[in-house]
Amino acid sequence: MENIAGKKPALVWVVHVSVGLLVLLWIIPTLGLLVSSFRSGDQIVSSGWWKALFTQEQQLSPIRLAGQEAERDGMFVVEGQLFTTASTVSAWGTSSRDPAVNEPGQTVGLADGQTLAVNADGTFILTSPVTTEGTRLPRVFTTASTPPEFTLNNYRTVLFSPLAGQSIFQAFMNTATVAIPATIIPILIAAFAAYALAWMDFKGRALLIAAIVGLLVVPLQLALIPLLQLHNGVASTLNGWFGLEGTNALQGKGYLGIWLAHTGFGLPLAIYLLRNYMVGLPRDIIENAKVDGATDFQIFTKIILPLSFPALASFAIFQFLWTWNDLLVALVFLGTSNDQQVLTGNIVNLMGSRGGDWEILSASAFVSIAVPLAVFFSMQRFLVRGLLSGSVK
Amino acid sequence: MTQALLAFLTIVVGVAGCLGYFWASNLLLDKVLFPARGPNAGQNINRANLLRPWLFLFPAVVALGLYLAYPVFATLWLSLNRNQSGELVFVGLDNYRTMFGEAKFRESLRNNMVWLIVVPAASTAFGLLAAQLTDRIRWGNLAKSMIFMPMAISFVGASVIWKLIYDTREAGQPQIGLLNALWMQADGGFFSILILKVLPVVLLVGIAAGILWFLWAQIRDFADGGIWGKVLRGLGVLVGAWLVFVALSWAWGAATAMLPYGKPQFWLQIPFWNNFFLMAVLIWLQTGFAMVILSAALRGVPEETVEAAILDGANPFQIFFKIKVPQIMGTIVVVWTTITITVLKVFDIVRAMTGGQQETQVLANYMYEKLFVAVDWGVGSASAMIILLLVSPILVWNVYSARKEMR
Amino acid sequence: MKTRRLASAAALAVLAGTAHAQDLKFPPGEDARFNWDSFKAFDEATNLDGQTLNIFGPWRGEDQVLVESMLAYFTAASGVTVNYSSSEGYEQQIVIDAEAGSPPDVAVLPQPGLIGDLVAKGFVVPLGDATKQWLTDNYGAGASWAALGTYKGKDGAEQLFAFPYKADVKSLVWYSPENFEDAGYTVPATMEELMALTDKIVADGGTPWCIGLGSGGATGWPATDWVEDFMLRTQPPEVYDRWVTNALPFNSPEVVGAIDAFGSIAKNDAYVAGGAAAVASTDFRDSPKGLFSSPPACYMHRQASFIPSFFPEGTELGTDADFFYFPAYAEKDLGQPVLGAGTLAFIMKDSPAAQAFIEWLKTPIAHEVWMNQTGFVTPHKGVNTDLYGSAALKKQGEILANATTFRFDASDLMPGAVGAGSFWTGMVDFVGGKSAQEVADTIQGSWPK
Repeated sequence: MENIAGKKPALVWVVHVSVGLLVLLWIIPTLGLLVSSFRSGDQIVSSGWWKALFTQEQQLSPIRLAGQEAERDGMFVVEGQLFTTASTVSAWGTSSRDPAVNEPGQTVGLADGQTLAVNADGTFILTSPVTTEGTRLPRVFTTASTPPEFTLNNYRTVLFSPLAGQSIFQAFMNTATVAIPATIIPILIAAFAAYALAWMDFKGRALLIAAIVGLLVVPLQLALIPLLQLHNGVASTLNGWFGLEGTNALQGKGYLGIWLAHTGFGLPLAIYLLRNYMVGLPRDIIENAKVDGATDFQIFTKIILPLSFPALASFAIFQFLWTWNDLLVALVFLGTSNDQQVLTGNIVNLMGSRGGDWEILSASAFVSIAVPLAVFFSMQRFLVRGLLSGSVK
Repeated sequence: MTQALLAFLTIVVGVAGCLGYFWASNLLLDKVLFPARGPNAGQNINRANLLRPWLFLFPAVVALGLYLAYPVFATLWLSLNRNQSGELVFVGLDNYRTMFGEAKFRESLRNNMVWLIVVPAASTAFGLLAAQLTDRIRWGNLAKSMIFMPMAISFVGASVIWKLIYDTREAGQPQIGLLNALWMQADGGFFSILILKVLPVVLLVGIAAGILWFLWAQIRDFADGGIWGKVLRGLGVLVGAWLVFVALSWAWGAATAMLPYGKPQFWLQIPFWNNFFLMAVLIWLQTGFAMVILSAALRGVPEETVEAAILDGANPFQIFFKIKVPQIMGTIVVVWTTITITVLKVFDIVRAMTGGQQETQVLANYMYEKLFVAVDWGVGSASAMIILLLVSPILVWNVYSARKEMR
Repeated sequence: MKTRRLASAAALAVLAGTAHAQDLKFPPGEDARFNWDSFKAFDEATNLDGQTLNIFGPWRGEDQVLVESMLAYFTAASGVTVNYSSSEGYEQQIVIDAEAGSPPDVAVLPQPGLIGDLVAKGFVVPLGDATKQWLTDNYGAGASWAALGTYKGKDGAEQLFAFPYKADVKSLVWYSPENFEDAGYTVPATMEELMALTDKIVADGGTPWCIGLGSGGATGWPATDWVEDFMLRTQPPEVYDRWVTNALPFNSPEVVGAIDAFGSIAKNDAYVAGGAAAVASTDFRDSPKGLFSSPPACYMHRQASFIPSFFPEGTELGTDADFFYFPAYAEKDLGQPVLGAGTLAFIMKDSPAAQAFIEWLKTPIAHEVWMNQTGFVTPHKGVNTDLYGSAALKKQGEILANATTFRFDASDLMPGAVGAGSFWTGMVDFVGGKSAQEVADTIQGSWPK
């Protein structure tokens, strides 16, 4: 390949530029959310995230004056600062009809003999002939330029706010509790089955492989209710056997149930991937081992498992990403109480109660994808290697 | 912390239990049931070997049967019944009749057809492009992982990401959605005509030309293959011809459309086209998958064939389309079908972004709504069976090729 | 090792104890306005220490904090440990759980229609005639509240299955008083005045309304409230009742007229912020923010009493934002109809604790604890209305009290396939350009036979 490219430098540049464009196209969506998650809600809705690095001039939402009142020369004076950030006022007003009528520094008479001056730096002086104690102070509309500002507040809100009804840390733990066993258990079961399907001769092998391939396509949604019924039935039968009727000692919904469910749903892909990989392992090794008197069990644990590591790892990553990101299965097989609600469920709740707030949405979406991204970036080598062997024939 | 302990304990017990089961059952088979000793040693070894595969398979078969096969039959049964105040009443195909009478169902069927054509095609095409290009440059691996990254993002997260892109503010206010911000730059001048008119027309005509080339190849080879091959080719030609027609009429539409420059657009509400804005999300998520697998397949293409072609004076495009693509056709089909399955199962994107409204309903979301919102299990299960029916060609093909491989 | 674990267990118990005491928002006995007698009486009558009760409800986020503050009193008085949980898709969750046989002990839902579905399938335990009588006697307009919780059971007999607790007033128009002052507008008292004000705002170069129907999978529901409000303002309540049960078909002229009345506002580009196209795509949580932007994106927003939760942070009710009653037509002489909603509690798994919880909801204190905070209106006649946490709540209570007609949200009463399905999608299609008749025909076609 290189020799062609070497002959035509123009083509190389075309390739570089096209790849650059493609990569840009693919990371821009995520980048936009990442940048937004560090901006305040006001900034997000008042300018595009791609302008986050520049000073923005815009009309701000009305700010109600607030400050300590002091008596001076028979007048009551309220002084204060409009902004919490370093903004510069270029125009201001007190009526929604004329929000930019006054210059900074100008003193303007209001109703009831009050006067108000707003300076460019956002400080203001309100004077009133009578005390403003207990009355509503006027609002100020400002047109101001705000320097770029980034904040961690969104993450603070998402991580520590009690609004979702639980701490996100607890949800994090719950998700880990679901995802880790639900990744490891199916691998073991699938590995044994894949070995049998790849290297053992028996009647009905072809049929079984065909059936597993067929099960790959079964849509998950239709399995949910029959299975939950099954879990509940088993739980109540067991309660009956142990003489625990009427109590909730064993429940159909719980971690055991979701582990089993994820195991069942993940198995076809696991068996399919692992079998394809194992079939490709050199036949001589296995036959030599058999000649040396090794049993199938020994061959499996001593030879096949270590050799299949890339495929095992890649399936593990897949299954982990899938269980970590899953919402539907968790909604059905787990409860929604604090010690069972998973991260995705928590985020969706947060979206529901804070739906219009981009700053909350973006930060919570990033919290939810942080772990999968970390896993993905640290393990992608295995993922690629295993996938390749599994599906490329 | 008890919970972490519980999880850890489960892992230990689960792993030990699995290993213990396999080890103990093998031991039982070899030492107790059919010991390879005594007068019947030979016979016993044979018997043990007959049974052993099933020991290895037992847990997997039970789990698969219980968690995937049983629900299929349960759903089939439910789809033939109606729930009348808690009692199941057999109604035959009544649910299916009701379903086909619903406009929303026909809409989701139509949309699903579009999804099934566009998403796998676009993901595979982008994946192939990315695979071919990134293989040739030094920072290719970095580029690959960037394109592959969306695979790790949940559908919930992806929906938030894309909602921000499609966001719309009133004209006059700053647009915070990237798409609208770009759109507002278009003013009907030279560049907007180049990008919004010329580019789509060229792309669509290109697609049409590609399909035509494929059609010609099919017609040329029509005589090959058995009766089924002929039928398949015939069907392929018909579908292809229709697609060419669609692509050309869209190209005509794109060339003649009056675009509402300067007016912010509500992308997720433009009838019919909003489906494509939803599909973009899934294409974005799936391209990485296609790219990784196709890139490996491309690397597997024997160097000699490529070098021979170079010596014959083939240009890079000829090498790619005539030498490489035919050799990785099998992998392309695998990628295509895998993405097709994902398309049929996926409902989170539609649910989170439009809720299936404004004519964006798809089957998976229709089924979810019937099952859990309208609590109509009969029709819900019937639509599940339709999804199953739609994937069954892939199922049959998978089974067929798996069997071929066995021989 | 063992002693250390014991010690930490003890520390935990102490912690739990203090946490428990802190949980009670208002120390019992202190504020004389509360009905502490009812708390004490319940405490003495109930002793269910060690039992647990799983409650599943619709309240999340800030509301969850509020409901848990009420539940803490129940725990303190009865000894029952309460596990409250909720989820974003709670309507679907409850169906899944009921069908699969793992329901919560007590569920709370805002959709009487959905409860009716569950009752018909035999998932709900009847509450008995005594409770029905209690509701009739102790709730304002008690008979209509009792009727709301009464359904035909699996055996065909009508019984009380659900206990209404917490009401919402829906016929409210929110506005910014200062924006009204700046422009010289006054609060309209009749629908004619409201429409005149709408036109005046347009003439002044402003935009009168902010409407947002977006709500993820439930997109379209805010429009159903509009249509219901117009139904009550153009038709007598009996017609409304027949509409709810489909005795009056959805595509009859009365209903089509109400849909068109909504359309005359929502489909008029000059009347709504962002134009008609923005209506269906704007998130309902996002749309009230237009009232507070600069310059104002709109002057009025019709939404139920819960909406202040979605106002910009720091918005003070009464100062920065206020509401008025969505008025009736003066010429129609249909009185002052009020559209409302509410949540109903019902038992899915019978136990002494579940029964005790329903008894608890009858005590005034169970209402007062929440109403003294925010977002809670109750038809309970035995509560001290001075306890309403804000002037706004009190005003809503008055609107409820002054109503000549009170009707429950129709979409919540209709079967799920319509009330949470085709009615929503139909409204989105309507705003998207289809005609009212076309949409109504489709909805009628989807009514379960």
